[in-house]
Amino acid sequence: MSKLLTMKSKPEQAVKDLFKDLLESGKVSGVFSLRKNESGIVDYGLITDVEKLNEIAPFHPLMPTNAGQILGKFTSVPKPVAVIIKPCEFRAAIELVKREQTSLDNFLLLSYTCSGVFPIKSIANDTFNDLAKGYEKAVESAEIPNGIRPNCRACEYFAPENADILISVIGEKSGECKMFLNTEKAKEFTRDFSGDVSDKEFDASKIAKLKEKRLKEKEEIYKEVNTEISGLDGLIDVFGRCVGCHGCNSVCPICYCTLCDFESNNFDYNAPIIERELKQKKALRLPPDTLFFHIGRLTHMSFSCVACGMCSDVCPAAIQVGSVFKKSGERVAKLFDFVPGRDVKEEIPVMIYKEEEFAELGE
Amino acid sequence: MNKTIDVNNIRKDILQFFGKATDSGQIDAVMMPMLVPAKDSYAWIVTTDKALLEKMNPVAPVMPVNGAIALKRYTRKGKAELKLAVLMRPCEIKAAIELMKLKQVNPESVFLFSCDCVGALPMQNYIADPENTEKQFNEIFAADNWKSSDLKPVCNICDKFSYPACDVHFGISNSKILPMSNSEKGAALLTELKVADKKDDKDWKKSIEETKKERTSAKLKQYKETQKETDGFENLQKLFSHCLGCHNCQSVCPICYCRQCYFDSAASKPNSDIKLMRAEEKGALAFPLDRLMFHIGRMSHMSLSCVSCGLCSDACPVDIPVANVFGFVGSETQKTFEYESGASAGDALPMRDYKLDELGELGKLVETAEGGEVENE
Repeated sequence: MSKLLTMKSKPEQAVKDLFKDLLESGKVSGVFSLRKNESGIVDYGLITDVEKLNEIAPFHPLMPTNAGQILGKFTSVPKPVAVIIKPCEFRAAIELVKREQTSLDNFLLLSYTCSGVFPIKSIANDTFNDLAKGYEKAVESAEIPNGIRPNCRACEYFAPENADILISVIGEKSGECKMFLNTEKAKEFTRDFSGDVSDKEFDASKIAKLKEKRLKEKEEIYKEVNTEISGLDGLIDVFGRCVGCHGCNSVCPICYCTLCDFESNNFDYNAPIIERELKQKKALRLPPDTLFFHIGRLTHMSFSCVACGMCSDVCPAAIQVGSVFKKSGERVAKLFDFVPGRDVKEEIPVMIYKEEEFAELGE
Repeated sequence: MNKTIDVNNIRKDILQFFGKATDSGQIDAVMMPMLVPAKDSYAWIVTTDKALLEKMNPVAPVMPVNGAIALKRYTRKGKAELKLAVLMRPCEIKAAIELMKLKQVNPESVFLFSCDCVGALPMQNYIADPENTEKQFNEIFAADNWKSSDLKPVCNICDKFSYPACDVHFGISNSKILPMSNSEKGAALLTELKVADKKDDKDWKKSIEETKKERTSAKLKQYKETQKETDGFENLQKLFSHCLGCHNCQSVCPICYCRQCYFDSAASKPNSDIKLMRAEEKGALAFPLDRLMFHIGRMSHMSLSCVSCGLCSDACPVDIPVANVFGFVGSETQKTFEYESGASAGDALPMRDYKLDELGELGKLVETAEGGEVENE
């Protein structure tokens, strides 16, 4: 049974107060949150000094990095770090735990019902403030805010029900913060923290309508992707303008390899191999393997794709990588009745051996 | 410059030249930009097929990938067996020259061709509206001063847009190409093909000098601004403050050839106790880690070879003017060593060249600084 901790302050203030308490009581090694400083710079911070808590902005609708990627590089800590991250960042962290990159023991995980984030470009071209004008209202009225990332519009897993602490933000009255303490760890860490505590589970019906709207958006986006990508020609049309920077891979929280195979010696051909291909095809694109890279990445990580949309945001050639990967990932995961980031105990399908599986493929 | 040049004539002439060269057997394969199937960008294609050659674009309006990177992927592990002709922009030739010194490009059996370069338009514009961008490019090419604020910022201030250290260069004059040699290999090829070597064309030289002058003064003006913007740690930090740490700038850089950058390696991923220690030193630690350090590190590694192609700026998701900074810093470091990146394959890289006496004045600076410290105490 979950407990509900209600505080008479805005969610941001409530998180600050909780973090202050955790730091001062020495229960945590540090706290981790998105921050926004005076000059509007947004980044993540690992904070150990309570004085530095004033810059945290955990609900700010931007994602400069998928925080799961940062948490995935945490080795064991003496005491957990309290982190507040967005649901898809949380799901990425869970997938990285399964992939043995980090451990949930390292963290006290706070997450919240997320209305989505604006594209990164909006801070570069100064459109963020305009875009963000209607955001707060959309959060309160459980609507899809205008101008958020396509992947956010189409996200159905925006209530992180298995986080240690779920903060209900969407559709809530302002001036109050509802924290659902879902785990023993959460109850333990908040025991001495003042606030109203009652027995209550998070009520998903509050966000059911919004979920429906997003599912509709998803169908729309998938329709577009579907018509664009059919067969090899379709893939070439979509990825043909790729410049091979592999930015999509470097910001992907799931792509944790220190050196991607496609950047390794394995894919560095010598002149005789290039010329053999050239002889066969009479023409060759250089650098080679433009499409192969994306297909390779799809097969490697699409099981665990949390559809955060970072890949689309950093693509210099404006390829909608995120939509393609979300759709393919979802279809692959569905075959195994798997949802990435749903549960840390749910094993990644390629890691489980089943004697009988997909027998129809053999036929 | 040359009044009302029809870029399509230039394209036709260049393709004709390569057609002739392949027919004669002097060249087996040609590498050049070609429109991708979706017609929304260009890619480097190497071909042995004459029919395909005709569909290539020797003067593309955009530069999505630095051609030196394409050439590297062909010859990094050894020389080409085919006689390969590569037509690239001057900044790409310069990058290829630097990569030769770094042993990433093997020039044996490669003919480097270049052409007077007006500059490139931003790739993003092309993706958004290919037709209009093609038109815009043709207009800039046809105009007499080769100046336009629509060009990539680095192109507008590029004064090395002609006659780089290639084998054969195509000068442009009066809607015609002037093939000219810039190496013995190139001169021999022109003789073999019975093409007149126009490297002493006076009108062409004069028109190039005019454009060069304008661009040099624009460059110096820009560098002055960049110097102000990057002066001191705080300014530098401010300029790179939105950096996401994606390292796109590094991965598209023709000079950054390391298979794995130090800043992406395990050495740059400290354990949590180090992270916490660093956080405790200042009360908070910013993530991703070491973003400014990455840029300073990259600068110290590659600025001596920076060719100012501007791809780093194009690839930055948060529009940091990376190329301005690296171009400016590169010009300063290169000046210090009396070195010019990409000028000649015979020049030694300053970092690999040992001189008994070099930068003696730095020693004096250190002495003065140390003296100052003593006085302060």
